[in-house]
Amino acid sequence: MIVPLKPGIVSVEPDRVLLGDTLSIRLTGYNTNFDGTDSLRLWLKLTDRYSISGMDVSAMDNRRLRGTFVIPDTFPPEINSEVHPLSLIIDNPLDGPFVLPNAVFIKRGEKRAPGGPAWDKNDIQNLHTGWEFAFPFRNILAETIRNTYFHVPMWFAMIALFFLSVYRGLNYLRSGHTDYARRMVSLNRVGMLFGLMGLVTGAIWAKYTWGAFWSGDVKQNMTAVALLIYAAFFVLRSALDDPQQRDRVSSAYNIFAFAALIPLLFVFPRMQDSLHPGSGGNPAMGGEDLDNTMRLVFYPAVLGWILFGYWIARTDWKLSRLKEKIHEKIEHHG
Amino acid sequence: MGNISFKNWVLVAILSTGILIPGTLDAATQDFMRSTGKMYVVVSVIAVIFVGLAVYLIYLNRKINKLENRLDDES
Repeated sequence: MIVPLKPGIVSVEPDRVLLGDTLSIRLTGYNTNFDGTDSLRLWLKLTDRYSISGMDVSAMDNRRLRGTFVIPDTFPPEINSEVHPLSLIIDNPLDGPFVLPNAVFIKRGEKRAPGGPAWDKNDIQNLHTGWEFAFPFRNILAETIRNTYFHVPMWFAMIALFFLSVYRGLNYLRSGHTDYARRMVSLNRVGMLFGLMGLVTGAIWAKYTWGAFWSGDVKQNMTAVALLIYAAFFVLRSALDDPQQRDRVSSAYNIFAFAALIPLLFVFPRMQDSLHPGSGGNPAMGGEDLDNTMRLVFYPAVLGWILFGYWIARTDWKLSRLKEKIHEKIEHHG
Repeated sequence: MGNISFKNWVLVAILSTGILIPGTLDAATQDFMRSTGKMYVVVSVIAVIFVGLAVYLIYLNRKINKLENRLDDES
């Protein structure tokens, strides 16, 4: 929690300009130190080859900054579109370089006589390195990037518990020991708990980043279906009176439930566009979603939550075993 | 025993309303949840997990209480 976010750009005003105009921007940063340094540099990057350097860059305070760009009269020949986005790049010795993609849009205006300034060949170099142990700054996400350590491990733990539960179910079907069925039920119960916590935390996160608690995202919908399938596991168990039949039927159902879980969570979301990272064909957790500082926290968090969930499930199982023993004792005495 | 778990439920109710109230404040660009770099979104996510685990512990606690009572009734 005390690890800061890297500096980033929250907003740039104005964010559109016509070709040939002079653009004076006001920029708001996050976790920046504009005041502490006198060598602030700004660029607007058009393509890999062309950019404009900012002039009269001055800090208003630590988080706000002014700069001026003189926009050339025409786009370079390879750009044919009416509007083109530019990325804004800042560099200073204290924060290192950082970027806001699509910060400013340039639109073709009325035709002007050629002869103004030309596009610079890209001279974005001699950048400082901001060597700091910090998490990446992402627009929209901001500090909520930390939810990665809470929301995502819930699902890892849920999958791990459900997987173990299938294993215990198979153990039961093979051996017929009631104890295995009890373990299976406890694992499913705690798996459901983690699934529900994952769903609720995800909804809250979505509200403040995607704009709604439930936006009908494929992964959200499919997860809801998966959790209902597992809820049916408990309904099924409560519907059967004979304990042996209950254990046997529910262990078999458990296998099918897990088999349904895999396509629901791992296949369908990848076949469609989704708001979740790594959907629409790409595997999750690619290089852009987790950087190395985040991995350092994320993987131990996943492991920790899995073990924690397993421990809760074990406690639950021990309790139901104890209950069984007490019942047997009492019946013996009675 | 009934007393203890009732207190626990009240505690949970208070905690969960604490999460829901900032959640219902809507959409202004700088509301409470969005202030300080949306840090309170992280806070509420952690609170939800805490409440989830607490509810489960209460559920376990009630099961233990029932067993204890049964044993007491027998002896």
